[in-house]
Amino acid sequence: MPRSPLVALLVALGAARTLAAQGVLIAPHAIYIDHARRSGTVTLYNPNAAPAEVSISTAFGYPITDSLGHFALRTVERPDSTLPSAAAWVQAFPRRLTIAPLERQTVRLLVTPPAGLPDGEYWARLIISARGGTLPVGVAGDTAAVRVQLNLVVNTNIGLSYRKGPLATGVTLSKLRARVVRDSVEVWSRLERRETAAYVGTVRAAVVDATGKVRSTLNAPIAVYFVMEPRYALSVTGLAPGAYWVRYELVTEREDLDPAVVLQAAAVRDSVQVRLP
Amino acid sequence: MRVPESIISLCFAASLPLAGQSTGVTGVRGLAFPGVSRVVVRTDAANSGQFDLKAHPGATASLTFLLPAVMTGPAGATMTLVFGANDAGFSASQSINSQVAFDPRTPYLATFSGNRASVFLGGTANPSTAQRAGNYTGTITLTVVFF
Repeated sequence: MPRSPLVALLVALGAARTLAAQGVLIAPHAIYIDHARRSGTVTLYNPNAAPAEVSISTAFGYPITDSLGHFALRTVERPDSTLPSAAAWVQAFPRRLTIAPLERQTVRLLVTPPAGLPDGEYWARLIISARGGTLPVGVAGDTAAVRVQLNLVVNTNIGLSYRKGPLATGVTLSKLRARVVRDSVEVWSRLERRETAAYVGTVRAAVVDATGKVRSTLNAPIAVYFVMEPRYALSVTGLAPGAYWVRYELVTEREDLDPAVVLQAAAVRDSVQVRLP
Repeated sequence: MRVPESIISLCFAASLPLAGQSTGVTGVRGLAFPGVSRVVVRTDAANSGQFDLKAHPGATASLTFLLPAVMTGPAGATMTLVFGANDAGFSASQSINSQVAFDPRTPYLATFSGNRASVFLGGTANPSTAQRAGNYTGTITLTVVFF
């Protein structure tokens, strides 16, 4: 069978069948639960044309950076008492559910911390696993005797913070450095969280020329749980050779989060010079 | 039994927004292996897999595929699937013509310039010339970690 009819067949099958679900949308994308309430909710939306089978689980982990400055998630299967894990206390109701097409469902998160829990912030990761995407399609051929089916599972992993008592946050910025890599300036820094809660904010960086004019900018959300050394790249395409300053700051502002959950701290800033060839 | 051609398909409906700040992964188009070529490149607009991601601008997320090496069929029969170092692509603009290639066999760190981005996936199906008749299944798992 020539290729075009096969493609046409595939498209026709896709149009005719009720196709299986794949993935769900999740809000909010970071969950904060206060000790006074000990509960929270997360809303799941199935945008697909078929029911989505969803399961919810928890784990312990927090963002770090690797040797290249890339973000990664450090997970600890059995966190000891030195790690502020809330993973074992968080239960989702329901834990397994089926969401009808184009429907929302609210999942309640109940937290049962141990008695005598000290004030502080405790972390977990919420893993929403959506199973679907099963579309059996006959194999076109002389006999069509082979049928194949790929199943799809999408795991979405988001952060959860449990807060007890008065909390504060802050971050120290050190070792700011920059270098030119092709058409970008790579900026590195060392960020170390201070106080009792993760630092949640935004990194703002700018390349500024000798006249003070901003020539390139970057805004990126960040969460510093312990220590990290992230790397960011600012485009310097088309900029004339010469000396520039890279301005770099962290502020406790997040457009994507409820302001009520963003702990405030003083901005930290630094700058470093870089020369474009 | 000879299987000269195969189709493997996952097809998905387009995503709709969830009110407020949300995040997630939805599919637009499944990965299909039509015709005798059995090789689908990630820039193939008709047959590559497409996964839409939703997040906040500037956010980063790690994408990790768990890919099947084979699909399992009747009486233990298998059909090979191969994913190469150039078989996945990330597009911050959701354009299939503007992808940054990555190896779907290793984690990839994606940065969002807007609210939405797409991942494209290609691959190769290798049915043997004497592929046993029956049903073959496999599972692709995509894990998205939002930082």
